[in-house]
Amino acid sequence: MAPTPPVRPVMSHSSAFLLPSPPSSSAAPDGDGDAYALLVLNQRLPRFAPLLWDRARVRVCADGGANRLFDDMPELLPGQDPDEVRRRYKPDVIKGDLDSIRPEVKEYYSNMGTQIVDESHDQDTTDLHKCITFVTEKLAIPNRSNLCILVLGALGGRFDHEMGNINVLHLFPTNRIILLSDDCLIFLLPRTHTHNIHIESIEGPHCGLIPIGAPSTTTTTTGLRWNLGKPPTSSIQYQQQLVLNLQILSPDDTSMSFGGLISTSNIVEEESVTINSDSDLIWTISLRHHS
Amino acid sequence: MFQLTNEQDYERVRNRYIPEIIEGDMDSIRPEVKRFYSSQGSQISDKSHNQETTDLHKCISRIHRSTSDHEKTNLCVLVTGALGGRFDHEAANINILYLFSDMRIVLLSDDCLIRLLPKTHKHDIYIESSVEGPHCGLFPVGAPSGSTTTTGLKWNLSEAKMRFGSMISTSNIVHAEKVTVQSDADLLWTISLRNLT
Repeated sequence: MAPTPPVRPVMSHSSAFLLPSPPSSSAAPDGDGDAYALLVLNQRLPRFAPLLWDRARVRVCADGGANRLFDDMPELLPGQDPDEVRRRYKPDVIKGDLDSIRPEVKEYYSNMGTQIVDESHDQDTTDLHKCITFVTEKLAIPNRSNLCILVLGALGGRFDHEMGNINVLHLFPTNRIILLSDDCLIFLLPRTHTHNIHIESIEGPHCGLIPIGAPSTTTTTTGLRWNLGKPPTSSIQYQQQLVLNLQILSPDDTSMSFGGLISTSNIVEEESVTINSDSDLIWTISLRHHS
Repeated sequence: MFQLTNEQDYERVRNRYIPEIIEGDMDSIRPEVKRFYSSQGSQISDKSHNQETTDLHKCISRIHRSTSDHEKTNLCVLVTGALGGRFDHEAANINILYLFSDMRIVLLSDDCLIRLLPKTHKHDIYIESSVEGPHCGLFPVGAPSGSTTTTGLKWNLSEAKMRFGSMISTSNIVHAEKVTVQSDADLLWTISLRNLT
């Protein structure tokens, strides 16, 4: 009889915030009571930026993210008056080096009451890092334990920025931080927890698990087309798998590393995916495009 | 390609830029595009039966197989379209650099390029400052580094430890015509590309 794995606390994940209807009406486990903070970095806004803005309790632009908000939000809401859109979608804070924000954009939001925080003296941390620190330490948010930080503009563009942003996920492993683009979202699955990911209708089917920082020797998943890890130890489940003709992976199909196997172009097959690993992993899933 | 040139005649541009080979699953290429290039002499290599590897892997495999070891030292494979988009695709494409570490492969985007610096070698990177820089970075993707040493950067590393969850070198600046890197871990090097307007 195989030894039972150590019991880890469970961390539940859901992208219900991307659904058109309010999250509290979804079936996702943590749908109720989540507080969202939205961070906007310096890349073109994705198509769902207005939706996330409305969901968020606090909105922060990192430096040049303010330019993107100013330029792109009216384009994402073409039926509406641009000035009206800009007035309505006003960030609470603009923070960072302030070397990318255009002077007229800074003036516009400053006049509207946005707090402008100049951090150019601090060259040791990235703009995203500064924003995460700000949101997690300085903001008075009820339900802080349910705080979920949504970040736009952190993927693509300059690769060193993208890597720096992914490092921020590793530096804040106990915070829920999700990086989103038009094509996909990513977040960290810290090795300290068993992960339960509820799959929403607006995401999938393409997904992946990526050991960015260090190899993983043992990862076990359920709910994917190509699961990792040993088959279930219960003989009844094992028999069911044989009957359904599912692929039985060898016990070696569990380690992942760059230079070896990483799980990409996988497919979510069930409503819920579970992941257990001895290493921090990045989870990614594609976002569906509307026609 | 036509949109990237200043030419007026799109047919002439299209006819000039014909690939030798089109390789992969063939599930994305439009039928009329496939017909056009096939009629212009491109070899269509349908690998849809092979679902184990990505399209880039298939392409690099083909080049790897048909290049001798001696030729490999002089061959540099330039890849466009491997960065951005779906993150799992990007990760798989980066993994190609690790899987074929005996080849020089450069992934390029509008904003930057990346290449692998294998731990087996000391690296001399000659900076073409008219087209690249100044922003650069070094990343221990895949495994941490216990000791990395550099010269030629604004913030050089001296037997420094690097790992995700701790320190990695981002938003660094090239400060010399040549950057050298020596590490006990495979590192990804990236440098920004200048906007040539």
